Amino acid sequence: MVKFVENELQAIKDEVNEMWKLVYQQLADACKAVLEIDIDLVDKVVAREKRVNAFELKIDSDIEDFIALYNPVAVDLRFALAMLKINNNLERIGDYADSIARLVIRTNLKPESKELFKKLKLQEMFDSVLKMLRNTYDALQKQDISLAKAVFEDDEVLDIINREALDTIADYAREHTDEIKLCLDVAAMFRKLERAGDHINNLSEETIFYIDAEVLKHCKTILHSDEENNNSTEANN
Amino acid sequence: MDKIEAKNVNFYYGDFHALKGISINIPNNQVVAFIGPSGCGKSTFLRLFNRMNDLIPGSRLTGEILIDGQNIYDKSVDVDKLRKNVGMVFQRPNPFPKSIFENVAYGLRVNGIKDKAFIEERVETALKGAALWVEVKDKLKESAYALSGGQQQRLCIARAMAVEPSVLLMDEPASALDPISTAKIEELICELSSQTTIIIVTHSMQQAARVSNKTAFFYLGEMVEYDDTKKIFTNPSKETTQNYITGRFG
Amino acid sequence: MAIEINQSYARRKHGIQRLAFGVFRALSYCVVLILFVILGFIIIKGIGVVNWDFLTQPPTDGMTKGGIMPAIVGTFWLMVGSAIFAFPVGVMSGIYMNEYAPQGKLVNFIRTMTNNLAGIPSIVFGLFGMACFVNYLDFGDSILAGSLTLGLLALPIVIRTTEEAFKDIPNSYREGSLALGATKAQTIWKVLLPMAMPRVITGLILSLGRVSGETAPILFTCAAYFLPRLPESIFDQCMALPYHLYVVATSGTDIEAQMPIAYGTAFVLIVIVLIMNLLANGVRKYFENKLKSK
Repeated sequence: MVKFVENELQAIKDEVNEMWKLVYQQLADACKAVLEIDIDLVDKVVAREKRVNAFELKIDSDIEDFIALYNPVAVDLRFALAMLKINNNLERIGDYADSIARLVIRTNLKPESKELFKKLKLQEMFDSVLKMLRNTYDALQKQDISLAKAVFEDDEVLDIINREALDTIADYAREHTDEIKLCLDVAAMFRKLERAGDHINNLSEETIFYIDAEVLKHCKTILHSDEENNNSTEANN
Repeated sequence: MDKIEAKNVNFYYGDFHALKGISINIPNNQVVAFIGPSGCGKSTFLRLFNRMNDLIPGSRLTGEILIDGQNIYDKSVDVDKLRKNVGMVFQRPNPFPKSIFENVAYGLRVNGIKDKAFIEERVETALKGAALWVEVKDKLKESAYALSGGQQQRLCIARAMAVEPSVLLMDEPASALDPISTAKIEELICELSSQTTIIIVTHSMQQAARVSNKTAFFYLGEMVEYDDTKKIFTNPSKETTQNYITGRFG
Repeated sequence: MAIEINQSYARRKHGIQRLAFGVFRALSYCVVLILFVILGFIIIKGIGVVNWDFLTQPPTDGMTKGGIMPAIVGTFWLMVGSAIFAFPVGVMSGIYMNEYAPQGKLVNFIRTMTNNLAGIPSIVFGLFGMACFVNYLDFGDSILAGSLTLGLLALPIVIRTTEEAFKDIPNSYREGSLALGATKAQTIWKVLLPMAMPRVITGLILSLGRVSGETAPILFTCAAYFLPRLPESIFDQCMALPYHLYVVATSGTDIEAQMPIAYGTAFVLIVIVLIMNLLANGVRKYFENKLKSK
């Protein structure tokens, strides 16, 4: 490919990387805001969410231009398609970060809740999701397929924590009937984190598709997300 | 002010009304692509900018074409001087039967430049600018016909650029070349656009999309649409344009 | 549905084809055969006569003995003279008609007339040459008058080859040059003429080969019946090979004794014409390689 096309590709890559860092920041701040019940941080996350959305539109249109103008084929086409989907998935993760952060305000979290969070292994859940997001990013930068595939395993950890947490919340709700609303919100938060994990899985798939043209989507042995789950979270938003 | 302004240009070959009331503004140091089916008038229009159509007997023009604010069809305009300022690259590589060096030096010589050192320096600059210097620097004295088709076309670009035109017209410059040579020419176009206004006629829509900032679509002697290339190729405002660029013509 | 192949029809078809091509081939071989017969006849009869003395000595003993040197030299000067006249005039008019003149009725008329000029019998040229150059311009019977007359004969060929050579140059070269700010004259002089030159020169040599064999135009304008010395200026008469051939074969003191000399002269003339043709070919090939060395 000629140099000026190479430049276009690089520009898209840079944009996606920036988007990626932004979303990571969002998620990390959202987690911190919840764990430390930090209202200021929530405000920051909510404000930045607009930037994430705008960024998504910009990248979408840039990739559209790229495909329209340069008719990419083979690796360039896979790159463009992968970036398009990565962009969309990142935006969704950004949405989750936003709504997780809003939980702090909506449910009026009290310091006592921290005990509950500890029991639910919320910290571990957050850490796992963030780690997955980091690893996928690294996998794309280093074009490292094994790193990308490792993310799928991390996702299982998320599922386990999520399942246990839901049981724990159910028990907690039975004992504290006056805090049912909090329980529901926290459960929803877990589900969102779990969904974020699924989106990160998608990022990984797209990364692998771009690097190796291996279509992993809907390949049941590796993937754990199912359509139903997908639909329910969409309704949530 | 725009580099080139065409105001309500009509052009006739005898009785045939080849261009119908075309107005276009071309900004400085941009690449503008003319696309459209064969016989739509895009080449004819291109050749108005350096008055190449003057050579055609029985042709007639109405309207104005301004380059740097000067009407190039004004009686006071020196056509040779105009053509020095508005270079042209043709569909088929047409190097002269001379050495590589003399080909590039030709434009300087016919414009009365005799200073040997200056010519040598200019030839080198032009060949470097056309990304050909490395390939030919050891065989400047050899015939230009010894070069491959793609190299010949780059030589023609170097030849045109040697007289430092401020506008470069390209009439399907890559249509006779293989994909690798085409890619090189396209890259060259992008590089040259930093110092020159380039108008390129092309049959390849992909090429127009890749290299140009703005695109004009011609159909049956009319300019149907003229807009940013991104706009034309993602969301054209005229249906004819959309039909043409998507291949749904006719 | 498959079409049944009729075997007998196919056989007949191929039979007819073979027969037809056989006739074509035989006829084309005939042409070559005739050429070889003529050449062979002249060579067999003439080669025995040709030796160094024949080429370098003037005729002696009432043209029954000696050589043909003055005729060779005369023919040479006539060719040079006609080239000097026909080349610039022919090339310039060819260029004018193809490059400058507005294409239309006038140029077409000139073109037709040029072609007609080529069709005029050469004896008429001779008569005109005598009237115009010998008598009116008072050059007398001279190399000058003969050269001009032969030049007129060569002119249409030179004009036509020039015109065709220029016509065959793709327009893109003219446009390429004009697009760089060159004038029309610069374009013709620096680009088109070098490209057309090989063909123009080929045409010139071929036309000279042709005029070198002409007898009629020099009959009244230049050729001397017998002039054993070499011409000293362009106003001198001279001998010429074709005319000499005519003279020794038809008149003279002893036709029997002159016949070998006639064949020798014919042999030399043919060799000269063949050399001219080969030269023309060589020149064209040389320039073609030079221009299009890939």
